[in-house]
Amino acid sequence: MQKIVLETVGLTKRFGNVTPLDGIDMQVREGEWVAIMGPSGSGKTTMLNILSCLDTLSEGKYILDGIDTSQVSEKERVVVRREKIGLVFQQFHLVPYLTALENVMLAQYYHGMIDRDDAIEVLNRVGLSHRYDHLPSQLSGGEQQRVCIARALINQPAIILADEPTGNLDESNEQIILDFFKELHAEGRTIVLVTHNPELAEFADRTVRLHHGKVVQHAA
Amino acid sequence: MAASSASPSQAGMFLRILFKSLKVRRNRVAITFCSVAIGASIITALACVYFDISAKMSRELRTYGANFFIGPKAASGERSMGSQTGQAALQVIPPDKLIGASPYLYGLVRLDLGNAVLAGVDFPGLRRLSPYWQVEGEWISVSFDEDSCMVGKHLAKTMELKVGDSVNVMHAENGFQKRLTVKGIAETGQAEDDQIFVNLALAGKVLGVPGEVNHIMASVVSQGTDIDTLAAQLEREFPNLDAKPIRKVSYSDGKILDRIKGLMAIVAVIILSVTTLCVMTTLIAVVSERTREIGLMKAIGADDRGVVLQFLCEIMIIGVAGVTAGLGLGFLLAQVLGQAVFGSAITFRAVVLPVALIPSLLAALAAAALPVRMALGIVPARVLKDE
Repeated sequence: MQKIVLETVGLTKRFGNVTPLDGIDMQVREGEWVAIMGPSGSGKTTMLNILSCLDTLSEGKYILDGIDTSQVSEKERVVVRREKIGLVFQQFHLVPYLTALENVMLAQYYHGMIDRDDAIEVLNRVGLSHRYDHLPSQLSGGEQQRVCIARALINQPAIILADEPTGNLDESNEQIILDFFKELHAEGRTIVLVTHNPELAEFADRTVRLHHGKVVQHAA
Repeated sequence: MAASSASPSQAGMFLRILFKSLKVRRNRVAITFCSVAIGASIITALACVYFDISAKMSRELRTYGANFFIGPKAASGERSMGSQTGQAALQVIPPDKLIGASPYLYGLVRLDLGNAVLAGVDFPGLRRLSPYWQVEGEWISVSFDEDSCMVGKHLAKTMELKVGDSVNVMHAENGFQKRLTVKGIAETGQAEDDQIFVNLALAGKVLGVPGEVNHIMASVVSQGTDIDTLAAQLEREFPNLDAKPIRKVSYSDGKILDRIKGLMAIVAVIILSVTTLCVMTTLIAVVSERTREIGLMKAIGADDRGVVLQFLCEIMIIGVAGVTAGLGLGFLLAQVLGQAVFGSAITFRAVVLPVALIPSLLAALAAAALPVRMALGIVPARVLKDE
């Protein structure tokens, strides 16, 4: 039995009278690929923000790699984010004035251990061996997303959290990224992915469907 | 090749991010640099003038007449003193502080058309002492001329004297008389307009008291209370003499200086405030522009300290560069002001450095306070929302 990397117990988020997440119980085991799906307004983004420690929960528990993040301070949440989580964004969010290599090294910098060779190796892995010194503006959307994935992987996070990673890509690039996620999964990486795209969710081990802030389906 | 380079250190990476961030925002950096440089240059120029103004203004104000009196002690009952004693007393005043001085010996004489007060003076000293006199004709330029005189404007009118006329000067008691040529007619706006002026030696002969003077008037450059110290020193060295600043004039000097300095301080504060606002506006725009970037940095592990450090280092780099340029420009500006107002160069004093540097850098840091707070308030989950 694989260990539990991510667990939520009665996770609830309230904004005044609105409750975008209402008592979510979820577990993700090591090496598992879980897709979170649901229509707009179902609470997917709020869920991902809390899972990535960018937001706090109002009630319940969220345990990540053994750390109860609902009990930690803001300062400690930054450390959890830095050391346990690799974030992949729909819009890539690369620093525009840093090269591909520097964008990857930026995550190492905040982690406190810069290793240029490691950063290059990860970029090679995502197929950007010839693009280290290019600025994001000189890269295609697919290439930018690959830099974003390389940045998410560089610190060997406990979990990769991805928000619509193919949402801004054309078909061919979508396929490259999809293949890459498959590869990561095959390697035993733990992935939680928020998506509208059923094709992307199809390759996940499990799909969690949200509706009005509640889990309506756990499907294998 | 990229692969062959060594890994940057934490500090190296920090500097790389810092300088690339500055480079990519050249225009904003240039505006901030110019704001800081202009502010610092004006502060530097004002500080240069401020610390030099006492000396410059004091010299300038000294053109309005004597501010120091040396005479026999009133308690002694003496009305005159030896001119050699007076000269010795004058030696106590540091030469670089003495603008001009003249002994005075007064007496009543008879001219062709009536009586008048005769004043024996040292003309070269008197000219330095009273450069504001309006003289028709010319000044007597040497102290040994015993054939010429200068006449006050009112007296000249009463005695019907013009430049080039001759006038007979006679002492009623001793009968000494001498015919003199009127070399200049002086308009002073004061009691001197009713007096006739001759060289001291001649006055001594006419009045029958050679080698005597009633008092000495001097124009001394002073700052603060140093003129009182000088008076006390003179009285210690010459117990029979009365030495004192002419309060009205000395205090006027001080008051004008204080007002000018106050005005300069107000202008400096206004300039610093404007600079701070300008820098702050630019930095707020920079933070607004970088909202996503800051959100991303926080999302991938930057803590508040890292964000503050990055911003403060950026503003300090621009600030130090701007202030350094401002110091140079400010000194040049001070020279322009010095030439325009005082007709002389402004001396650079070391005290200007901290006075210009510290407030300018503090203003730049104060300007960064609100933008840094804004940056710290950025919530990654909100700004990185993928729409």
